[in-house]
Amino acid sequence: MTELLNASDEAEALEDLHRRGLTDGLPVIIPTPARVTRMVLASGFDADMVLGTMGPGHGIATIEKVAVAAVMSGCLPDYMPVVLAAVKAVIDPIFDLTEMQATTHCTAPLIIVNGPARHTCGPISSGYGALGPGHRANASIGRALRLAMINIGGGRPGTSDMALLGHPGKFTFCLAEDEENSPFPPMHIDLGFEADDSVVTVIGAEAPHSVIFSGDGDDPESYKALLNMLAIGIANAGTNNAILTGGTATIVLNPEHAAILDQAGLTRQDIAEGIYQRSSMTEKEISRLAPGFARKDSGNRDAFKGPEQLLILMSGGSGLYSMVMPSWCAGAHKNSASSVKVESEFFCEVPGLAAQTI
Amino acid sequence: MRDGINIAKLGIPAVSLVTEEFWPQGDFVAESLGMPEIPRVQLPHPIAGTSTQNIKQVAAEIAPAVIKALEANND
Repeated sequence: MTELLNASDEAEALEDLHRRGLTDGLPVIIPTPARVTRMVLASGFDADMVLGTMGPGHGIATIEKVAVAAVMSGCLPDYMPVVLAAVKAVIDPIFDLTEMQATTHCTAPLIIVNGPARHTCGPISSGYGALGPGHRANASIGRALRLAMINIGGGRPGTSDMALLGHPGKFTFCLAEDEENSPFPPMHIDLGFEADDSVVTVIGAEAPHSVIFSGDGDDPESYKALLNMLAIGIANAGTNNAILTGGTATIVLNPEHAAILDQAGLTRQDIAEGIYQRSSMTEKEISRLAPGFARKDSGNRDAFKGPEQLLILMSGGSGLYSMVMPSWCAGAHKNSASSVKVESEFFCEVPGLAAQTI
Repeated sequence: MRDGINIAKLGIPAVSLVTEEFWPQGDFVAESLGMPEIPRVQLPHPIAGTSTQNIKQVAAEIAPAVIKALEANND
């Protein structure tokens, strides 16, 4: 059992947690032993089971410590399998968590959930405002990962998390794919998982940038204009993607934009290929716009190594706007996405448990 | 800081160069990697993107401190 802090009441405990730098600045649910025990129980794993170490502080992430973060963030025990998968995803060396937490770039872990866990561990919203306020599972799952990154990983602003400004997604950044309404196969299938798997994909991402586009039913070629606009959004000259290159980045299509691309006969791979081909600048143009990053060679600088570096999903409400999340593009693995299957077979549903979080 | 520690762990004398803005982060990394006493020399901030002349001047200014730290490290 982790060493316990003492306080005379919850209000005093909250102030103590704030003073110790153990919160994200917002109020938290006090992680009392009873609440943490319930969260551990829901996971179906032993409290002292080690998931790995979290940088940059190299704290050891046990089930219990992750449960503490999940309680503090306001998670229901139902969400625990998704929280654990998200923590495992950032612990995977491919994610470069230490460097990602320490960088001056604003990158934050975007959690994308696919498969049945969207419903059984939620509901995790994939519709209107999925990345905004009002969705408990989205809000608290993303926040649980952040609190784990603060309290287990040791990422704190100005000393170990050197993001110059950060972005609001560093509080919480979680959504599901709208698999039911997407014209494309669920993203996790294209990542090599089975349809009935639940998968959490985490990728370091900037805040969402909106891309406006209206289709033209009279022009069968209008999908090309959409691909142009998405490419401009994801790899404009001011992004690390355009300048540093080679990092995975995320595109969240809205239903209209997904339909335009689907009706043009494009698969997810075709869309990625189309955006990849349009995400390139001449070295001459880069030397004009960003001389500090000029290279001596001529020719083009491609933002991505290939179409596989574009993570494409459909989420959000109906309208004119898709979202793109450019990325940091650094670290040994160059901002790779990390996908982990949600282990829910051990999940322990205790009657009445969900109502007992407070 | 991390590079300096990795080199030092190979048994090669090392000094980490850290700008003043990143000094607290350097302390954190040194502590977390189990080498809190890794020799370090402070640089002004910012250093990236300043002129070649400025970087040469900074290099000249800190060179004695780097040599001193390396000599101490080699004892």
